[in-house]
Amino acid sequence: MKAEVHIIKERCKGCGICIEICQASVLEISEELNTNGYHPPVAKNPEACINCGMCEMFCPDFAIWVTVVKEADVNV
Amino acid sequence: MLENIEKSHPADCFLYTDSVPSVWCPGCGIGTVINTFIQAVEKSSFSSDKVCVVSGMGCTGKVAEYLKFNSFNKIDGNLIEYAAKLKLQNSDRKIVVFSNNADFLISGAKDLVEIGEKGIELLVIHVNNIIYTITEYKAIPTTPFMRASADKNFELPFNIPHLAKECGATYVARWTPLRAGWLMYSMIDSLSKRGFSVIEVISPCLMYYPDSKRIGDAAELMKFYDDNSVIKHGELTEDLDIRVHNRIILGKFVDKK
Repeated sequence: MKAEVHIIKERCKGCGICIEICQASVLEISEELNTNGYHPPVAKNPEACINCGMCEMFCPDFAIWVTVVKEADVNV
Repeated sequence: MLENIEKSHPADCFLYTDSVPSVWCPGCGIGTVINTFIQAVEKSSFSSDKVCVVSGMGCTGKVAEYLKFNSFNKIDGNLIEYAAKLKLQNSDRKIVVFSNNADFLISGAKDLVEIGEKGIELLVIHVNNIIYTITEYKAIPTTPFMRASADKNFELPFNIPHLAKECGATYVARWTPLRAGWLMYSMIDSLSKRGFSVIEVISPCLMYYPDSKRIGDAAELMKFYDDNSVIKHGELTEDLDIRVHNRIILGKFVDKK
């Protein structure tokens, strides 16, 4: 099973809760700025994601979520 | 930029997406409570037009502006009384009240006692940030012992689960925002109750909290609250004060059939 992390960068306010809560240490603060002047997170090693959904459950601004990639799609 | 527009969050169908990101401080617990509430409504058997949201003044008053349920905002205090009137007129709908210290204790305590005794079907989600944000450093009934008062006012903190139990609530629980999984199952439980139910969420205020310079930023402050709490289900409600040297007790305290 592979999982994919989606981030809407314009919604993020840079609180860092998703980075703190991630058990597999997938996320990291990025260097780039969004239009509000915050540093959104970026997935530095997306292969380690185990689709626990903790970041999606805790995000106060609905900016991050996780989906499962089907294996048939991976092979193509 | 184009990729971002095409993607959509699974909770977007319950939100006015023009107003996201919200006006609260980065990492505020109210955002996590809303996220959890949407997941609880999704997982229970309610359709979105059968749920009404009522919010009051202050920071939690903004909740009604983001959620796409039938909702209104009552700013002069008699929040629970108006929610009870709404319930009596629409008996097939589920009414959820988002309140803070100003609505629930300071100007709405009389309504709480009356409506709890009548047993009207309401779910009150009380976001307790231990401080009365608008007046900054004034002591209020929920201020912890020997903390946060400029006039050196020493008072014992008020015990909200005990008050709710004595008023005849059928479901009483208390959580912090970092226990979002527990909070979600508590909301699913209490949405199916046929009586008055109260959930207290102890959420740190990031703006005016006087110790925030010592503790650090939002994620660290949330973690500090989470480390200093312990889960004890079915604890007697007399023992649930927030004192300085004790840990905050979380759990489900009252669950009547």
